[in-house]
Amino acid sequence: MTDRNRFTDRPLPEGVRDLLFADTAAFRAMTAALQATWSAWGYREISLPTFEYADTLATDVGATVDAEMYRFFDRHGRTLALRPDMTIPTARVVGTRLYDQPMPLRVAYVGSVFRYEPPRAGRQHEFTQAGVELIGAAGALADAESVALAVAALQAVGLPEFSITVGHIGFFRGLLAALNLPERAAHQLRVAVDRKAEAELARLLVENPSLPPLARNAVLTLPRLTGDGRILAEAEAICLNTTMMRALSDLRAVAELLTAYGVAEHVTYDLAEVRDLDYYTGITFEGFAPGLGFNLISGGRYDELIGHFGPPLAAVGWALTLDRVLLARELQGVVYAEPRVDVLLAAQNCARCLAWAARARNLGLKVETDPLGLTPEALWQAAQARGIPRAVYHTDAHLLHVQDRSGTHTLAADDWQEVASWLNR
Amino acid sequence: MAEPLTLALPKGRLMEDALGFLARAGYATPVNGDGGRKLILDGADGRLRFVMVKPADVPIFVEYGAADVGIAGLDVVREAERDVYEPLRLPFGYCRLVVAGRRDRPDLPLRLERSPRVATKFPRLTEAFFRKRGVAAELIVMAGSVELAPLVGLADLIVDLVQTGATLRENGLVELRTILESQALLIANRASYRLRAGDVRALIDGLANAAREA
Repeated sequence: MTDRNRFTDRPLPEGVRDLLFADTAAFRAMTAALQATWSAWGYREISLPTFEYADTLATDVGATVDAEMYRFFDRHGRTLALRPDMTIPTARVVGTRLYDQPMPLRVAYVGSVFRYEPPRAGRQHEFTQAGVELIGAAGALADAESVALAVAALQAVGLPEFSITVGHIGFFRGLLAALNLPERAAHQLRVAVDRKAEAELARLLVENPSLPPLARNAVLTLPRLTGDGRILAEAEAICLNTTMMRALSDLRAVAELLTAYGVAEHVTYDLAEVRDLDYYTGITFEGFAPGLGFNLISGGRYDELIGHFGPPLAAVGWALTLDRVLLARELQGVVYAEPRVDVLLAAQNCARCLAWAARARNLGLKVETDPLGLTPEALWQAAQARGIPRAVYHTDAHLLHVQDRSGTHTLAADDWQEVASWLNR
Repeated sequence: MAEPLTLALPKGRLMEDALGFLARAGYATPVNGDGGRKLILDGADGRLRFVMVKPADVPIFVEYGAADVGIAGLDVVREAERDVYEPLRLPFGYCRLVVAGRRDRPDLPLRLERSPRVATKFPRLTEAFFRKRGVAAELIVMAGSVELAPLVGLADLIVDLVQTGATLRENGLVELRTILESQALLIANRASYRLRAGDVRALIDGLANAAREA
């Protein structure tokens, strides 16, 4: 095929892309599967504006997202921003409009979000997020529902293999409080834990010789507290205060419920996960799939966000990146078959053909008409070129000619039984 | 037998030490990197698969999960700013990233420079170093022989790696500041760290033991 790139003067801006037919169909199918799943769990979908006032979206949580926002001005000079995620607009809607509704609220959404971040693993500046938030419910049962629904969602979108890692921000918060390090050392500790940098942790201990042995042991053990449910038992030995103990018992309760949900095989634990320390207030989780080096879903409990917009309300939820799920599925050999057209129909000077097409479509067939007046031979070629399994033309009022891979045969114009058998799904 | 863990090995300076430590940690390693032609090699025990890459590319391979783990210099990892875990420091590949200038350069603090031209292979770290001091450096990003730049008037200063400092001295340059003390690092992909937790942990602990004994 020639690649005559005649339109180089119309480049796309950085960070956006088109999705062509098969990908768009795959996105739609995944979205439909997600909608069926969360609706079975009682979640209802809302639609959110694409842009809002920048200072609404830039709450003092999530400084990274703040730096990544697309900002522009309205005609009065006020600063607007494209939504960098869906959770903050959802929190705004709940905090300002839905705060007195019967709780808990189960909210779902799907749509584009926009961030200035280097495109990685299928994610451009504009990418598609789908997610759920369970609002007005604290506690292990709500936490476990969110994780179990994440597992159900990834299964529904047809991802064969994945794993969700669950942590609890309270464990590290408690450790920080127990250690009572100077601000600089506390920051270094957080960076080292975030990077799982075990040597740096050891060096921090050398630089802070006054820490008691139990605390030193806790710091050194922390990066090992990642794996299956057994690490929750191991973690008990290094709890230094009630904050750490409470985080751990929360997590154990969630773990038990996840077993009851039957999703334990998809879940691992990590007590050294400190991402978004300022945003989350309880459990946190991230989902990974083999071959894709990046997370495809992330979530957690954020009990302080809605209070920025209205009365404080407990909340837990997650968002997945559809673009990455699509990639992860492909890496695992899942090929999405775009529904194909069943019939290419000649319709030039043939009013009754149009009636036939209408009736065939009512049966559920996908029927494309030929607007060019192709000869029967060219019609079949055109059908093959587009992956349509049969070409149909009329020669008189009662007879259809059907050409497919096995040859040509005739069919009575009122033989709807055979036509119905052409349905491919 | 499970899939081997894929390890990105840096071609060049760090390779021999890296293979030595892996061998001491009990992993079958390819002999001499097989003469350097094959880019993907399997360890004889089926536990590791080695991909041979340019040192500066190791963090990218690991961030994307094309390699589950990798061995790279801290200098390269900080310059790349990729989202990877850094579970282990390894006791080799020691060097420093320094600012250097001509021996006859006037004795002026760097923060008083107007906008020096700085030749380097480490633009991100160099930019950050000068910005922090309020100096708008003009970066000259080079692929090699950075020491040459001040000698021919291409740059006022350089930011480069030194081990002994001999190359600098031979070219009439002196070290002015150390930006970073570097050494070899084991890095790991965030997904692999979870999905291959047992294998990654075995590698970390094996290498940590080998490092302690070294």
